[in-house]
Amino acid sequence: MPHNRWHMVRTFGLKKHFIEAKTKKVVKAVDGVSFTAVPGKIFGLLGVNGAGKTTVLRMLSTVIKPTEGGAEVNGFDVLKDPQKVRASIGFMSTSTALYGRLTAREVIEYFGGLYGLEGQRLKERVAYVTEKLQLQEFSDRLCDKLSTGQKQRVSIARTILYDPPVLFFDEPTAGLDVVSSQTVMEFIEECRVNGKTVIFSTHIMSEVERLCDHVAVIHDGIIRAEGSVADLKAQAGEASLEKSFLKLVEFKSEYAVAK
Amino acid sequence: MNPAFQVYRKELREMFRDKRVRTSAFVVPILLIFGMLYLFGGMMEKIGKPENQKVTVVKSGSPLVDLLKKSRFDVRNIDSVARGQQLIRDGKAGLVLDMLPPDSTGQSIVNAYFDPKQQSSGITKSIVQGLFGKLNQGTLDAVLKAKGIPESAAQAIKLVDKPVEVGEGGGAAELIVSLLPYLIVIWAFYGGLSNASDIVAGEKEKMTLETLLITPVRRTEIVLGKFLALATICLTSSLSSLIGLSLYAAIKPPGSAEMLKNGLGVTPQAAATILVVLVPTVAFFASLLIAVSSYAKNSREAQTHLSLIGFLVTMPAIMSQFLGLTDMGSQAWVNFVPVLNTANSIRNALLGKTTLMPIVETVCVSLVLAAVALTIAVKLFNREEVLSRI
Repeated sequence: MPHNRWHMVRTFGLKKHFIEAKTKKVVKAVDGVSFTAVPGKIFGLLGVNGAGKTTVLRMLSTVIKPTEGGAEVNGFDVLKDPQKVRASIGFMSTSTALYGRLTAREVIEYFGGLYGLEGQRLKERVAYVTEKLQLQEFSDRLCDKLSTGQKQRVSIARTILYDPPVLFFDEPTAGLDVVSSQTVMEFIEECRVNGKTVIFSTHIMSEVERLCDHVAVIHDGIIRAEGSVADLKAQAGEASLEKSFLKLVEFKSEYAVAK
Repeated sequence: MNPAFQVYRKELREMFRDKRVRTSAFVVPILLIFGMLYLFGGMMEKIGKPENQKVTVVKSGSPLVDLLKKSRFDVRNIDSVARGQQLIRDGKAGLVLDMLPPDSTGQSIVNAYFDPKQQSSGITKSIVQGLFGKLNQGTLDAVLKAKGIPESAAQAIKLVDKPVEVGEGGGAAELIVSLLPYLIVIWAFYGGLSNASDIVAGEKEKMTLETLLITPVRRTEIVLGKFLALATICLTSSLSSLIGLSLYAAIKPPGSAEMLKNGLGVTPQAAATILVVLVPTVAFFASLLIAVSSYAKNSREAQTHLSLIGFLVTMPAIMSQFLGLTDMGSQAWVNFVPVLNTANSIRNALLGKTTLMPIVETVCVSLVLAAVALTIAVKLFNREEVLSRI
């Protein structure tokens, strides 16, 4: 299928099945996910823990291969051109840690080098992200000595250093305080303004309401519903996103309420 | 800049900032060889000198007591043999001599009481025996001379030493020759061990590996960068033993005269040979360590696997210490036993007995093993179920 330049991220029938080591049972982590993300918009993947959000993002970033189906990022096939896919993306999550024995500046320069930035261009980009994220006061400090918020700013700097057209955020505010979360969300909003294609995975409803232009509700590896936040509420016939989500994933309380 | 080189540079920078690595890979090998040579040198010097030998003598008027004292033995007197035996049982005396008066033939019987299980007693006894032997020889020579009989008449067979020079000549002292190859080989492995669990398994655990995997760098290049960094640490750590040896030779602490009486044995040719056999061995160790670290779920699991592999490396390395006691070192099969072959080549180099074919065989064996282990490491690194094991 020819690449539509507006379809920066496209998945078609994406599946990932694992075989559980102990029981040898097949676990369908992702079971036929199809969606499209476009530049200047934030695409949300909303689901509970274990719904398959991270597995989708890991397949899109070529860390793992799909069992079936496929995906394209920036026009490159995740199976045929994994290096080109990786050169097109920035990935950030609270689990993508930094090297504790390198300084913030060294981490940023290291990743800049791995993305092919060299010489004057590398210096300029490092200066830009340092200024942009106010890293000056701790850029020469070892990452092990940084606060969680400072680490998160360094992670953002690492993600945007080489100016990728596609950005994946996998629960980027998990474990962060309200101030650090605010910085991350402002950064994601700016990505949209700058015309980036953003895929944002979360289970926090308020973040979805604030950031996402288009949302896919994923549960048990399957997309249960898709559309804007208003569309989801309409589909579920609920006033709040939280209740809509619970209805769409057919939530059944495990807590026995006394009658 | 080549991505593999960037990974290499970053890994080295991280490693050198780790206090554990600096200690275990550089400081400990230097101190260990220095300390061992200092200790052994001191002991050898002490063992060889009569003034350091304690001899307990049952009181008698024998002139041999004066001879022992003149020869600077540390002589102590006791009243009875029974007391001497008790002192031996209590561990307070090593050798007790009971000197009986000369019999009708003029022969003086000296009863030597000692614990055969106590090695130091045996050493003292042999030094005393040497002294009495000289005295006997002197007496015999005087008797023969007085009777006009040539000295050779008392020696129907005389063994004359005729050393044959093999290789370059010279060569290090026996202790250095048996100790240094073992330490060089062992540190080539253990120097990298402290890092190996961190280099891939540790990255999985700390979640930094995923950040690296989503860069455009190919996984083979990542493995290569990490392999080169680990190999550098292994090699530097191994060569630190030589730094320790050079330091010992430069400082010349007490006891070094005995240890260095034949020189260090590290001639330019020996140094070149050591490097030639060591580099492929280091490559083998580094690739083995990377493969295990890639397979492990986390640092702890990596350490468990690596300690088992440590045994496999240590066994042939220990065997290398016994090469000089048998003719094993000159047998062809040794060149095909990993680790042992490297230690044997280093040993021969230190003895100044370098020959080409065993070195070529040793290098080939190590290179083949390094290539196999590196291929496994790359294959493991490309398997998502291995990299995702957390």
